[in-house]
Amino acid sequence: MPGFGHTKFATLHDVELCTQSAMGERRAFGELVRRHGSAVRGVLRRMGAQGAEADDVAQDAFLTAFERIAEFRGEGTFAAWVKKIAARLYLRRLQRDRRLGAMTAEAIEDEADVVHGDTDATIDLEEALKVLSATERLCVTMCFGAGLSHTEAAEALNLPLGTVKSHVKRGLEKLRTRLAPEDGVVLEGRRGNG
Amino acid sequence: MAELDFERRLERLFADAPELADAGPFADRVERRLDAGWTARRWLIGAAGVIGGVIGASQLMVSNLFQRVETAGDSARLLTSSFNHMTTGADWVATVSNGGTVVWAAAGLAVIMMGFVLTRVIGEI
Repeated sequence: MPGFGHTKFATLHDVELCTQSAMGERRAFGELVRRHGSAVRGVLRRMGAQGAEADDVAQDAFLTAFERIAEFRGEGTFAAWVKKIAARLYLRRLQRDRRLGAMTAEAIEDEADVVHGDTDATIDLEEALKVLSATERLCVTMCFGAGLSHTEAAEALNLPLGTVKSHVKRGLEKLRTRLAPEDGVVLEGRRGNG
Repeated sequence: MAELDFERRLERLFADAPELADAGPFADRVERRLDAGWTARRWLIGAAGVIGGVIGASQLMVSNLFQRVETAGDSARLLTSSFNHMTTGADWVATVSNGGTVVWAAAGLAVIMMGFVLTRVIGEI
């Protein structure tokens, strides 16, 4: 029965929950999902996945994480580990549906549509990311949201390393233009469970 | 330096994901899928164990086990008569060879036990 025994695990640290999950305790893993589900879904949405698709991929990512929980060495956070899994699964789905190639091609056309210098005070990361081309958004989110290195992102995207670095650099320039005036306001304005 | 600061700031912005309203139901859905997968796996492995047991038992039957048991029984009777003055311990073999139903029952029990043990082992894992 979902929901049963949640209080038992609510006080445990992520590392303890991972240990219990590795012993097959599915309720412990459920608590991890409860804690980090929003963060993982958030990364996928920022990568460009729509609501239902982001949820599907996030579910698959957590199931994969449960299967491989013994491989999690605790070198980083559990959330960062699942985010990487989710990012890779989403890219695989894009490749399977042949959407990744289209997005990469679209990136070149999008260059002309870039908006510079909008300093609207209400702008946040979500809004700022909309300025980026699909590939730039993917690359920036994979590197800064999912914690992949440029090399890992290049491998996952099946793109040359230099191309990924260029996308990230261009994406960062655009984001800096959009976010720079909001220093402090944006930072303090959002709280979550990342 | 400013570039590095901005990158750190961006990492913090990405890390500060808002808590979604349906975080609880989402976790419940994942738990249900975990439970469903686990149940399906137990059934699958348990069924594989039973099938394996049936195949093993049928192979034993096909390989003329009855005749071999009867031969063993005859040998036992011979031995028993030869060493009757020393022991009566081999009488049980002769008893077994009197009816194939005992072998069938043992094979059936072995199949059931194998399925049961496998299911328990999966449960423990």
